[in-house]
Amino acid sequence: MRFEGIYTPIVTPYFDDFSCNEDALEKTVEHLIGAGVHGIIVAGSTGEYYAQTEQERIWMMNRCAELIKGRVPMIVGTGAIRTEDSVRFAEAAKAAGADALLIATPPYAYPTGREIALHALAIDRAANLPVMLYNYPGRMSVNMDEETLDRLGRSPNFCAIKESSGDINRVHMLARDYPHIGLSCGMDDQALEFFAWGARSWVCAGSNFAPEAHIALYKACAVEGDFTKGRAIMSAMLPLMSVLEQGGKFVQCIKYGLTLRGIDAGPPRKPLQPLNKDDKRQLAEVIRTMNTTISKIIGEAI
Amino acid sequence: MSDLLTLGEYQAIAADLDLPRTAFIDGKFRAGSGAKFATINPATGDDLVEISGCNSDDVDFAVGKAREAFDQGGWSKMHPSDRKDVLIRLCKLMTRNRRELAVMESLDSGKPILDCETIDVPETIHCIKWHAEAVDKIYDQTAPTGDDSISMIVREPIGVVGAVLPWNFPLMMLAWKIGPALAAGCSVIVKPAEQTSLTALRVAELAHEAGVPRGVLQVLPGDGPSVGEPLGMHMDVDMVSFTGSTETGKRFLRYAADSNLKKIVLECGGKNPAVVFHDAENLDHVAEHVVNAAFWNAGQNCSATSRLIVHATVKAPLLKRIEARLRDWKVGDPLDPGNRIGALIDAEHCNKVRSFLNKKDMGDGPFVSPVIYEVGADDSKAKDEIFGPVLSVIEVATNNEAIAVANQTEYGLAASVFTANTRRAIRAARDIRAGTVTVNCYGEGDISTPFGGYKQSGFGGRDNGVHAHDQFTELKTIWIDLTDPSEGDNVG
Repeated sequence: MRFEGIYTPIVTPYFDDFSCNEDALEKTVEHLIGAGVHGIIVAGSTGEYYAQTEQERIWMMNRCAELIKGRVPMIVGTGAIRTEDSVRFAEAAKAAGADALLIATPPYAYPTGREIALHALAIDRAANLPVMLYNYPGRMSVNMDEETLDRLGRSPNFCAIKESSGDINRVHMLARDYPHIGLSCGMDDQALEFFAWGARSWVCAGSNFAPEAHIALYKACAVEGDFTKGRAIMSAMLPLMSVLEQGGKFVQCIKYGLTLRGIDAGPPRKPLQPLNKDDKRQLAEVIRTMNTTISKIIGEAI
Repeated sequence: MSDLLTLGEYQAIAADLDLPRTAFIDGKFRAGSGAKFATINPATGDDLVEISGCNSDDVDFAVGKAREAFDQGGWSKMHPSDRKDVLIRLCKLMTRNRRELAVMESLDSGKPILDCETIDVPETIHCIKWHAEAVDKIYDQTAPTGDDSISMIVREPIGVVGAVLPWNFPLMMLAWKIGPALAAGCSVIVKPAEQTSLTALRVAELAHEAGVPRGVLQVLPGDGPSVGEPLGMHMDVDMVSFTGSTETGKRFLRYAADSNLKKIVLECGGKNPAVVFHDAENLDHVAEHVVNAAFWNAGQNCSATSRLIVHATVKAPLLKRIEARLRDWKVGDPLDPGNRIGALIDAEHCNKVRSFLNKKDMGDGPFVSPVIYEVGADDSKAKDEIFGPVLSVIEVATNNEAIAVANQTEYGLAASVFTANTRRAIRAARDIRAGTVTVNCYGEGDISTPFGGYKQSGFGGRDNGVHAHDQFTELKTIWIDLTDPSEGDNVG
């Protein structure tokens, strides 16, 4: 499987009592597919999987499969502290009809490269589905190092890596030494750099509420190869990136962004707290400015 | 024989195998960018494993890594004795894993485990070891140039080599190519046959473990258009050594002409005769060799004796003995050590072989039992390479006719002659246009003797022996002027 395009890690909309807002979930799926995203990721960090019970996660993957109806690929995250749990999520994902898995490093145990590889291979054996790896040392404290990647090469299912380290040297290493593992941008403020190094996909939480802008950058860079236009679009997106990546309220911003588009994504689950009024105002203004600028660049209203 | 395990034990090893699923590039297993394909067990038709195939992007990448490794000199400029040590270490690792390799080979190719254990695996190891041990004993030359100069004639590794393998001897053909090529210091990119990629991948992994540097031995599974053609057309591949059909061999010559004039060595088809003269000694002995020659590996062997050219006076007693011996050649489950003939490689090949058979001999499934047909010299069974367990018997009346029929083929790989008369034997050996002619036996010579074909059986070099080493090297002359201008007549 080749991952190409914009892959949205879908939020889990909640009511104020933190139960799932199914209506909003359905609207979100329709809105994303309507906007033209290329795939939907269930149980990414943006979906707050870490705050959900096992039953909720399995319900979520089944429900999303029903809503997506095969119109775009569904990728399911298997993130868990215990390998056995990840394996169970992978099996459930396969049963739900997932097209691929997102496999992250297991957090907290601080495994070695070899141990991460064995963890991922165990999940792979259980499901035998295409896999996008997920390297996110900022949250997990460990990197998928060369030992991990070399060992994972034993299975052809590992066909992409969502690189969220922010370390540009890793982007170079992956592009040069692992061209067979598709590079996927997992660091929004480096999207232009990823595309310059041949990334063909972008896992971007911001595409929950601004799919058009993210698709515009992907098209300019990855499809048309027009990096001058790409740089202009990226420049217009950077203020949003700084709000998202540097404000410490990532999921809250994504959910509120969706709320601004008329789909009530609700509050994040605890321990996170919703945005305050100032944050909301700032985010709304940044999105408005970005959309206006990008519309001018691409000559289409977004 | 006593070393062989039971069917149950082989089945247990088979169930436990960790089969490779991806290419081996730059010292790592990694998925190719091409289409996935299933490698099947020819005996059962079951998928053994799905392999991620390579394409021209992978070829480009692997050639880049091979070139980088070659230029850096970590292998190409390593002291020959050290290269020898690494390759001998590989042989030890292969010996330690010989059972795994034998079972993997049997599962993937349909070959009887008996052959894998007693012939393919040990000869593969022996071949690599032979070239490893030879490489620090091969001397260069100096030419007789007189006192004023000295010329050194040296051999240097040719560079990046593409080795394109057939499916009939996945391990042995791998060894025939990588043994001398690696010993010579080349970087090698192997394209195994699509049907049989597994053991080459495993050997590459073992070679890396033995100390062959990354980029020096890479294995890219995939089909001809996806991997073979890009290798043949690549501007930075210095040589392709190909074993397979004559038709594909011709294609590689065209690729070379259309790209960088890379050197091409071809080892192609055969329609090999065994000539039995009226005075052949000991027909039991002859029968034993003819049966081995025709039916070993189910006749899927470019040097298989597929034509028995026999003098009328000895035909009947010889055929009787051949048929008697054939009763021992049981056909069936390749993992059963009692069987001598396993499954043909795939359904397409089975159909091709069956198209030559009479209806009653066709059988079904992947197994074809040995058959013997008496035919005329112009019959298609006497001329076409069937590559199956089919022996065509042609009766002749005179010695001259025997030689003429033996040469009545577009191929010229191997032949054998059986006679008690030494002079007749040597004359026949000279008169038959083939790369190897054996007398009073069937064989291909051994690791020390060159193997390759006349006519459309091959071109450009020979496998085995130091001659194989030569084909993976370039010949260089270094001419040094020894005259000293300060000692000239006009000085002073």
